[in-house]
Amino acid sequence: MTTRSDSAGPAVSPAARLLQSPAARHVTRYGLAYVLLGLGAAFALVPFIWMLSTSLKSIDQLFTFPPTWLPDPIVWRNYLDAWQALPFGIMVFNSLFVTALAMFGELSTASLVAYGFARFRFPFRNALFLLMLATMMLPWVVTLIPGFLIWRWLGLINTYDPLTVGALFAWGPFYIFLLRQFFLTVSREIEEAAIIDGANAMQVFWHVMLPLVKPVLLAVALLSFQGNWNNFRSALIFLYNPIERFTLPLGLQFFQATLTAGEAPRWHYMMAMSTLMALPILVLFFLAQRQFIEGIQLGGVKG
Amino acid sequence: MRLGFMRGAGVLAVSLLAITACTGQTTSSAAPDESGGAASEAPVEKVTIRLTTWAGEDESAELQELVLDKINAEQSEFEIIHEPAPADYYTKVQTGLAGGTAPDLMWLSQEYIAGFASRGALLDVTELVAQSDLPAGQVDSYFPDVIKTARYQDGLYGLPWIAQPVVLYYNPALFDEAGIDYPDESWDWDTFLEASKALTTDADGDGVPEQYGFSLNGWPPLHMFIWQAGGEVIADDLGSSPIDSPEAIAAAEFYSEMIFSAECCPSEETLAEQGFSEMFKAGTVAMFMGGASDTFDGLDVVGASVVPSGPANRTTFSYTASTAVNSATEHPEIAARALVALTEGIHHWKIVAPRTDLLSEDVILASIPEKWKAQKEPQLAAIIAAAEDMSAFNIIPRHQEWDDLFWKEFQDPLYHDQGTAAELAAAARAKLEDVMR
Amino acid sequence: MLEWYGATLLRYVAVAVGIGVLMWLTHRGLRRLGMRRESAIGLTLIMPWLLGFLIWNLYPIAASLFFSFTDYNILQPPRWVGIDNYRTMFTSDPSFWPSVQLTMTFALISVPLGLAGSVVAAILLNQGVRGVGLWRTLFYLPAVLPAFIVALLWRLLLLPTRSGLINGVTEPVWSLFSDTPPGWFLDADMVLWSFVIMSFWGIFGANTVIMLAGLKNIPRDLYDAASVDGAGTFSKFRYVTIPQLTPTLFYLLVMGVIGAVQVFDQPKFVELPAGSPNFLNVVVYTQAFAFSKMGYGAALAWFMFVVILLLTLAIFRSSSAWVYYEAEVRERA
Repeated sequence: MTTRSDSAGPAVSPAARLLQSPAARHVTRYGLAYVLLGLGAAFALVPFIWMLSTSLKSIDQLFTFPPTWLPDPIVWRNYLDAWQALPFGIMVFNSLFVTALAMFGELSTASLVAYGFARFRFPFRNALFLLMLATMMLPWVVTLIPGFLIWRWLGLINTYDPLTVGALFAWGPFYIFLLRQFFLTVSREIEEAAIIDGANAMQVFWHVMLPLVKPVLLAVALLSFQGNWNNFRSALIFLYNPIERFTLPLGLQFFQATLTAGEAPRWHYMMAMSTLMALPILVLFFLAQRQFIEGIQLGGVKG
Repeated sequence: MRLGFMRGAGVLAVSLLAITACTGQTTSSAAPDESGGAASEAPVEKVTIRLTTWAGEDESAELQELVLDKINAEQSEFEIIHEPAPADYYTKVQTGLAGGTAPDLMWLSQEYIAGFASRGALLDVTELVAQSDLPAGQVDSYFPDVIKTARYQDGLYGLPWIAQPVVLYYNPALFDEAGIDYPDESWDWDTFLEASKALTTDADGDGVPEQYGFSLNGWPPLHMFIWQAGGEVIADDLGSSPIDSPEAIAAAEFYSEMIFSAECCPSEETLAEQGFSEMFKAGTVAMFMGGASDTFDGLDVVGASVVPSGPANRTTFSYTASTAVNSATEHPEIAARALVALTEGIHHWKIVAPRTDLLSEDVILASIPEKWKAQKEPQLAAIIAAAEDMSAFNIIPRHQEWDDLFWKEFQDPLYHDQGTAAELAAAARAKLEDVMR
Repeated sequence: MLEWYGATLLRYVAVAVGIGVLMWLTHRGLRRLGMRRESAIGLTLIMPWLLGFLIWNLYPIAASLFFSFTDYNILQPPRWVGIDNYRTMFTSDPSFWPSVQLTMTFALISVPLGLAGSVVAAILLNQGVRGVGLWRTLFYLPAVLPAFIVALLWRLLLLPTRSGLINGVTEPVWSLFSDTPPGWFLDADMVLWSFVIMSFWGIFGANTVIMLAGLKNIPRDLYDAASVDGAGTFSKFRYVTIPQLTPTLFYLLVMGVIGAVQVFDQPKFVELPAGSPNFLNVVVYTQAFAFSKMGYGAALAWFMFVVILLLTLAIFRSSSAWVYYEAEVRERA
C-alpha cells in the first residue's frame, strides 16, 4: 500500500474513520483473499474428509447410496485392523529407508548438475540440457522393460538398489530443470563478489548459491520425499519376495480384492492406510512451508 | 600431481571392486530366479518353487495358511513360496518373463493362457502331470470345458484351480413382496424378462423406479446368451467369429432389449451412481447373475437358481483360472509336482473346484469360510446344477484384442442404440476375424 | 533381513564415492587437456547426470526406438517389420488420430488454465492473512492423496445423475439446455471437459508450491523500489511479479506440456466410455501390456516423444522473448 500525503481534505466522519482503521483495511485488503482461500480449502478438504470417512466405516456401509459422510457407527478399529493385516511396521521402515537414500541422492546431485547447467558455459551445454529434458518425454511404458533388463544384468532385482542407487545419478530431470531455473535468477554480481574474495566453485555453490535458492530447495526436498514415499511402480516390478521387503505403496495394494476372492475390496482399510501414509508428508509440508516465509530474499542487488 | 592421480585411480578401483563384490553377494542371496537353494547336489535340501498370484491380503493369508503351509509341511522335495503381486499383475509378470526373473508357477486368468503358451512362455505339462498320482493330476476328472482353457493346440499348459459358473442370485424378500415365484430350472428367457419387469416398481410414479428386477451392464457376458441361443462366439476351430448368425443375433437383441431399459433394469447413469453389485446388496435390484463364490454382505438371505434357459440350451458361463509353469523354470519336474500339489490344495479351498469328482455339496460346503456358510448353503443345489452345464470361452492367442474389439465394435454401440444387432454384427465380424488369423 | 539394507547401503555409499572420484578425475582430465576452467568445472558438475544417462537412459531409449520397428510381444525376441507399425498408426488405426486430438486438446487447454490457477493460488497463499501456514497445508492436502483416491472422488463428483455433486450444484445452468444432466464420464463428447476439470485439481499441489517458491524468490527491494516510484498493487504485479516469475512460469509450462501429453494415472483409473478415444499414454500401456504389442506401443510412444519435443523446442525458442533471468528491474516510463 502506498502512503500518499494527500489526506489534506475535509474532516472525515466517524464512520469513514472506522472504514479507514487498520482492522477494516485488513479486512478489505484481505477479505477477498479469505473468501477465495476458504473456497479453495473447502474444495481441498472434500477428498480428504471423504477418505477419512470411508476409513471409519464398517464394510457394509462402504457404498451405501446416497453416500454418507458421517459413518455410523464410527469404526476406529479399522486403523488397528488394517495395520495388523500386513507387516506394515517393517514396511514403514522400508519406505523410510528408501525415501531417505533416494532423497539425499536426488537433492545433492540435482543441485550440483543444475548449478553446472546454469552458471557455466561449456561445449554442447544447450544440447545436453535439451537431451536431459528429452529423457522425460518418452512414455515410461516402453522403457520399463529395457530398464528392468539393466538392473537384471547387474543382478540387483529384488533389492532396494533400483529404488535408491539410481538417485545418485540425478535421475530426476524434473528437479534439475527446476533448480537450474532458480540458479539462473541469482545475479552475477553476488557470484563474482564471492570469487573475488577467493572462493572456488564448490564454495560459491555451498555458501552463496544454495542459500539463495532455499525456497525452491525446500520445495524440491518436499516433492522428492513425496515422490519416493509414494512410488509404486518401481517397487512393484523390482521387489519380489518376501512381503516384508515391500514398501508402503505396494503394501497398500493388497487391500484390493480380486476376481476370485468373492468379497469386495477392503476400501476402508485402504483408506485408513492411505490416511496414515499421507500424514508424514503433511507434517513435513507444514514444517517446511514455514521456512518459505523466512525464505524471503533480503538485499538482492539491482541489476 | 602424478601421485594424486594414482591415488584417485586407486580409490576408484577399490570402489568398483567393492561394488562388484557386493553385487556378487547379492546375486546368490537375493536374486530369486537362481532358485534351487544352496545345494543342488544334496537331495536333502528343499528346492524353492516360487509362485506368483494376484491374491490380495485376505486371499494371500488364506492361501498360505490353508494350502501352502500344509503342502510345505508334507513335502520333502520342494517348498512353495508365495510372491503376491496384487496390482498391475500382468505388467509385472510380463516384465519378469522378459527379464528372466519370473517365478516358476503363476496364476493366469483364462484369457491369457493361449497367448502366453503360443509365445513359448509356458511349459507343456501333459506328460509331467500324467506322472502324478494325486487326484488333481487326473486330467480326465476335470470338466472338459474348463480344462480346455488351459490347452493350446496339442499341449496342456496349466491346471485350472477354479471354475466359477454363473448362477442367478435373487432376493427372496422382494419376490415375496411382489408375490412372484422364485426362479427355478423351469425359467426361460421369456419368464425371466416378465419377472424382471414385474419386479421393477415405481411406487411414487416419478418415472424413476425405486426397485428393479435385474441389472445388466455388459455383465453377465453376452456370450452366455449367444450360447444359450445355439450360437457361437469363437468357433471351436478358432478360425471364425460367427456373431452374425441368426442365433447370435437373436441373443444380442434379447440382451440389448433388457440392458438399461427402464422397464426392468437400471439406466447406465443409475448404475454409475449406485454401483452395479451394490444395488443388489442394498436390496434395490431383485436379481443378480454372479459367480458361484460371490458373497453379499448386507443381505441375510440370498437365493440362487440356475440361469434361465435360452432357446437352445441352459448352458451357463464359466470363468476359470489356471496355474501355469514358467517354461524357463530351472526345475521342470519338481515344478510340475508342485503344480499338482498346489492345485489339489486349492481345489479344497476355493469353490467351485473344476473337477467332476469334487462336485458335491459336502465338498463345496467345506470350502466355504465359516462366516458365509449360512448364506451359501441354500445356494449349493443351484451351484451344482449350474456346474454340470457350464461352458467356457474358446480362447485365441490375441484374446485381449479380440475382447476389446468385441466390446467397442459390437456391444457398446448396440447397447447405446447406435445400430441394429444384424448390422453391427456383420461389420464387427470382419474385424474380429482379423485378429484371429 | 538386515542384509537387505546393509547391502544396498554399502553399494549406495560405494557408488556415491565412485561418482565423486570420477568427477574429480574428470576435472583433472579436462584441465589436463587444456580446457578452460569454466568449461571444465561445468562439465564436471554435470557428470552424475551424464553418467546416469549413459548407464540408465541410453540403452532403454535406443531399445524402445528399435522396438518401434519390430513386432515385439515381450515374451519372444522382437521381429523386424520396418515401418509397418508407423504405417498402421498413421493410416489404418481408426482410433489413433482421435486419440491424438483428444490428448493434444487436453494439453493445450489444461496447461494454461492450470498455470493461471496456480498463479492465483500462489498469490493468495503469499498474502499476509492469518494462519497462512494452515491455509497452505490445506491447499496442499489433495496432493498427498494417492491418484486412485482422487480418481474415485472425481467419479463421485461427476456422477452423471442429478445427485452428482457438480450436476446438483450446476442444475440451473444445464437445465436450460436439456432435461438430462450432463453425462460427464459416461458421455463420449464430454470426456475432454471432464478431464480438464479434473486437471484443475493440480492447482492443489506441486505447481502451486513451486510457484510460491518462485514468488518468494523475488527480492523484496524490487517491490520497495517500485513503491518508491509510485507503483500501485496492480502495477507492481504487472511489472515486478510477473517478469520475476517468468523463469518459474517457463518451467511449469514446459513441465506441464510434457506431463499433460503423457497423462496416464487419471484416465487409467477413471474408465472412459467405449465410444470415446483414449489418451495416448493409456493407449501405449494397453497396446504394450494388455495386448502384448510392445512394438506398436513403442511406435506410439515415439510419436508422442517427437510431438512433445517439438512443442518444448517451440517454447524454448519463444523464451527469449518473455523470460527474464537474473534480478532485473524493468525501467518504467
